[in-house]
Amino acid sequence: MNDFVLILKNLFHKKLRAVLMIVSILVAFAIFGALASFEWAFNSREDSAQADRLIVVNKISMSQQLPVSYFNGVAAIDGVGQATHANWFGGYYQDPKNFLVVFAVEPDSYLKLYDSDFVYGPGAREAFVRERAGALVGERMMAKWGWKVGDLIPLSSNIYSKKDGSHAWDVKIVGTFAGRTPQNDSNVMLIQYGYFDETRSFQKNLIGWIALRTASPGITDKVAKAIDATFANSPDETTTDTEKAFTQAFAAQFGNIALMVGLVVGAAFVTILTIVGNTMAMTIRERTREIGVLKTLGFSGARILRMVLAESVLLALIGGMPGLALAALAIFAVRDDLIQFVPTLTMPPVVVAAALALMLALGLLTGLFPALGAMRLKIAAALGRS
Amino acid sequence: MRSLFLQIVSVTTINLKSLPQRVWLSASTVVAVALVVMVLLSFLAMANGFRRTIEGSGGDDIAVVLRGGSQSEINSAVTHDQVRLIEEGVGIARDAEGKPLVSSELYLTVDGVKRTTGTKANLPLRGIGPQGAALRHDIVMTEGRTFNPGANEIVVGKGIVKEFSGFDLGQAVTFAGAKWTVVGIFSGGGTVFESEIWADAPVVQSLFKRVNVFQTIRARLTSPAALADLKAFAGKDPRTKEFDIKSEAAYFADQASTTSDLIQKLGWPLAIAMAFGALAGALNTMYSSVAARATEIATLRAIGFGGFPAFVGTLIESLTLAAIGGLIGALAEFFVFDGFTASTLGSSFTQVVFSFQLTPGLIAQGVVLALLVGLVGGLFPAIRAARMPIVAGLYG
Repeated sequence: MNDFVLILKNLFHKKLRAVLMIVSILVAFAIFGALASFEWAFNSREDSAQADRLIVVNKISMSQQLPVSYFNGVAAIDGVGQATHANWFGGYYQDPKNFLVVFAVEPDSYLKLYDSDFVYGPGAREAFVRERAGALVGERMMAKWGWKVGDLIPLSSNIYSKKDGSHAWDVKIVGTFAGRTPQNDSNVMLIQYGYFDETRSFQKNLIGWIALRTASPGITDKVAKAIDATFANSPDETTTDTEKAFTQAFAAQFGNIALMVGLVVGAAFVTILTIVGNTMAMTIRERTREIGVLKTLGFSGARILRMVLAESVLLALIGGMPGLALAALAIFAVRDDLIQFVPTLTMPPVVVAAALALMLALGLLTGLFPALGAMRLKIAAALGRS
Repeated sequence: MRSLFLQIVSVTTINLKSLPQRVWLSASTVVAVALVVMVLLSFLAMANGFRRTIEGSGGDDIAVVLRGGSQSEINSAVTHDQVRLIEEGVGIARDAEGKPLVSSELYLTVDGVKRTTGTKANLPLRGIGPQGAALRHDIVMTEGRTFNPGANEIVVGKGIVKEFSGFDLGQAVTFAGAKWTVVGIFSGGGTVFESEIWADAPVVQSLFKRVNVFQTIRARLTSPAALADLKAFAGKDPRTKEFDIKSEAAYFADQASTTSDLIQKLGWPLAIAMAFGALAGALNTMYSSVAARATEIATLRAIGFGGFPAFVGTLIESLTLAAIGGLIGALAEFFVFDGFTASTLGSSFTQVVFSFQLTPGLIAQGVVLALLVGLVGGLFPAIRAARMPIVAGLYG
């Protein structure tokens, strides 16, 4: 009988109590795993944003548009490298509830600028640049709707209408693309700005925003100021921000709700851990006599400390691992349903690592005081206590 | 029968009086249940507050006219000519001079800065016609006056003033390269309009370069039933037949459902998962309680008490702990979060300021969840207490 067997026997000495504690820990880590993954997905867009990419929007609000002539104006400013422009199309498929992320973009320059984020299917780039009514669709969107390359899709807009009064554009899927990392959202469709602008009935020659890369990362601030200065006092003033600042500001619009959720769940997590800590301490206290016997048999204090700590860490792992697995299952189950709200939802390695670290911390923390007590216990006192 | 009742009373009293002996374990159960209830009530109060703010905004007797397929005001577009056609529509109420009670409006977004975080947020700027304020219930100017027609003046809802900086009375803000002065602050009975900035429609049209274009038309109907007449009227003319016309109440109900459903869908599973955690805690506490009182229970049985009183006593102890937890949770929620103001993006892509609203119904849901935890958490330990062999108990 080695120490590990003894630890297991101790742990499941009272089976029901052990199972209950395991369930508590399981629930805590299932909640942690699920919410940390959501939080990561909400904030991951910021991480994927690159520091040397700038976004130029109308100063009034990002939902006001800019004249298309600004594109050439911005491109001519010193320090601006690649630049492109895009429009929010307000797309949906068949029913307004089937909301699609569709950008009307200037094809060649857009693909170049976002080359570092996406991998395109064979021939997809060339086909998209060539086909006026073509659409380039991210693979998650393809999978969600079961589309194939070559399909004709009636694409509706809740903002724009065509000159003939209809709201549906027929676009042909000419290729697909995938994100290089999970942070790069591929639940996206790109269509040609030229085709879109020519066929829409109003707001012609306007663009949503300009995205650009500066010639070198060190000069982003200077270039941003130069762009805004160029258009100061014009009818459409601009605000230029790094892509990161822009996405951060956007995420912040959902506001204190995210914070609230975090606080409430954090508090709950701590409580469940308190229950476990309390029970663990009680378990060890009840075993005082047994520990006295072990010491009489010649177990050193250090060995007893190790055994008690190993028991509590084992308990945390036995409860925590399935909890985390349950969270992963839940995340992957709702992933496709929530694609419109949190497109990059997944359980990233960093959440798994954080959970493992928390399990260790929980095990050590709940075991520490009982273990110290057990280590210092005098044999006479232990055996004397009834 | 009477003796059974007396037995139950005395065993229950013993159970409850011995609670202080297990104070930490019992307290951890109470706290766990309280937190479960708080989490559940937070989500429910948030969803409820959001839904009430938006749904309460719409009147039955107000028609909203949107371009077909646009879903929300921000995406809609209506031309000046189309406004004229609708103004002559059937079922629209008229004032004493015979003018139709119609407001053609613009709905744009402008940037504001959130007080709590200092970050930018989309705020709705609504250009309204002279009848605009009268077409909404409960609009009261609490400070200052309304804007003068043709002037760069705005009035702001009190929700905006509270959550976003720079909109105090008399302050100047810059939109579209022009300076606008805040001349008034209004309250709107807790509706979504309190999260809006209003200005004169023609001024907004010219400064935002939307000449001759509006986004929505609001019209007071002679009665809620007149909506069908207006729809039929619009359907006859090719220039207006593709419009979506609905009552303002129906419009806002559609707008509210997605977000509040999402909040509720998040809240219930979370609370249930946590309830299982708390349940494990409660079971643990109660089994410990039964174990600690083993000798006592056996003694009672030996002097003639039945198993059933032991069962009831344990169950009541568990229910008491859960009820205390549930009440603490509900009270804490009430004092900390009821009326707590928050803002988030609504479906028009603009900020909606709303406050958490607890109702007796929601609190009841929370307490029921707490009692369920107490019931299940006490049931099995209670069965064990009732079946405890007397001899083993006396020697344990």
